[in-house]
Amino acid sequence: MKEEVRRLLSEKEVAGFLGLRRDERGAVVPHLFTLENIDEVESLVVEEDQRYSPGKILLKIVAAHPGEKIGVMARGCDERALIELHKRNQLNLDDIVILGVACTRALAEKCRCPLPFPSKIAHGEKVEGVTGREELEAIEKLVEDERFRSWMESFSKCLKCQGCRSVCPLCYCPECGLAEESIIRHGEVPPEFPVFHLARALCLAGRCIDCGACEEACPADIPLRKLSKRMQEIMKELFDYVPGMSPDDNNPLSFTGDAEALKRLGGVIAAMKEEG
Amino acid sequence: MDYRTVPSVCIYCGCGCGMLLEVLDGKPVGLLADKGHPVNEGRLCIKGWHALEHAMHAERLTTPLIRGKGGSFEEASWDDALDLVAGRLSAIKKDSGPDSLAVLTSAKCTNEENYVLMKFARAALGTNNVDHCARL
Amino acid sequence: MAEFEPKIVGFFCYWCSYAGADLAGVSRMQYPPNLIAVRTMCTGSIWPPYILKAFQKGADGVLVAGCHIGDCHYLKGNYLTAKRMAVIKQLLEFFGIAGERLRLEWISAGEGEKFSRVVTEFTEEIRKLGPSPLKEWNSEARA
Repeated sequence: MKEEVRRLLSEKEVAGFLGLRRDERGAVVPHLFTLENIDEVESLVVEEDQRYSPGKILLKIVAAHPGEKIGVMARGCDERALIELHKRNQLNLDDIVILGVACTRALAEKCRCPLPFPSKIAHGEKVEGVTGREELEAIEKLVEDERFRSWMESFSKCLKCQGCRSVCPLCYCPECGLAEESIIRHGEVPPEFPVFHLARALCLAGRCIDCGACEEACPADIPLRKLSKRMQEIMKELFDYVPGMSPDDNNPLSFTGDAEALKRLGGVIAAMKEEG
Repeated sequence: MDYRTVPSVCIYCGCGCGMLLEVLDGKPVGLLADKGHPVNEGRLCIKGWHALEHAMHAERLTTPLIRGKGGSFEEASWDDALDLVAGRLSAIKKDSGPDSLAVLTSAKCTNEENYVLMKFARAALGTNNVDHCARL
Repeated sequence: MAEFEPKIVGFFCYWCSYAGADLAGVSRMQYPPNLIAVRTMCTGSIWPPYILKAFQKGADGVLVAGCHIGDCHYLKGNYLTAKRMAVIKQLLEFFGIAGERLRLEWISAGEGEKFSRVVTEFTEEIRKLGPSPLKEWNSEARA
């Protein structure tokens, strides 16, 4: 991997390469390797489970250096975030060279990841993902009242730290809907729940690539991934759509589409069954 | 094109959560929660996530300011500013006694700076009126 | 203890369903007074979090009524509505609020009778379901 990064930089295929390095403290941190400091590539770290979403960082770099080619080290979830950002014109995949890293089985299990590898793998070997839905079934086993109480108790611990938004690669909106007073009253901790968390889940429908950064960043241990995994399932069931797979499809909730697609909704919405 | 992270500690409360300041082309542009830090393990509170806002704020003071004859603030040198403050504090101490003065220290200061401020209050000014912003 | 009177919030579109509601009123058709109507230009312009906000503020049921598919004044706004309501229903179900508390209907400007029938049926359905758990939680929290 280090060889490839050195080659990309010295042959000027990329102006910089975003990866991870071990710093003076021994900690793993994101870093942009450049031709000027090519010796630093020696400290590039590939096998490490410290995850900082490169999509989030690339947004800042690309905004300051539009049009320049940048390389990035990306795991499966990282690439899916980049594809979603490309679809939304936040960056251009044509200007990004991805060196894909496949995750180990241990990492896939830690992240409960169904697809722990990117589309092209430069390092590591493809392993099977974790596809069970036990954590969702645990919720679905509860009757409505218990389900409601269990979620409300989780949400009541929310500190409104906005960590979920700060780490999410798909949360880039300069004006977030959750900051609207008409949706969430200002000045309260916890914020009005469940509307805060459910509104966020709705915004993420067809957008969230289930990387899990939000749950890792939540100081209140709110089970956000249960929500994001269920939203992914809903989008798959209703629209056969999975975010992050291809740069060519689009979130069904963001365009009107054709009447054919609406036919699948008959199972959930009675009015659609009648219209047929 | 230069992007690097600089490890730092949150300037707000006494927890001391670790963060990585993102520096793009020499300017701080954001921060990441330090996932390896033993105190916070990649999590921050809302103040921590916005700890950088004041550093690059347009209204951040960059020089001392002294209110001029017209009533508005004018830029001044550190020497002028310190002379003014020292002169006024001495005058107030002489006219109204040391207990008319008080010192408020800050959580943004280091322990050593807070110690110096305490000594300043008690030994230099001669008053026990010293307290800390955390008690407000 | 007073009998439970459901609070229904209804989102209607200016061109079809609200006109249908007007027709019901002008024709003196009877329907329960439990409905609070919110008129939008098109149901496709309803930002999904507002549906959640209605529940947050104490609605026991939410009705969204737009133009029939193919009749939307803005051509396909109601396609978006249909897709979004399906997603919201599933999310509510997963969260612990019965999906039946959110109802989507297509009501045209000439369907005054359908309007009053839908509102009557929906109110009774919600009466049987009982008060929304979110309403109860919020009133407990304030007590």
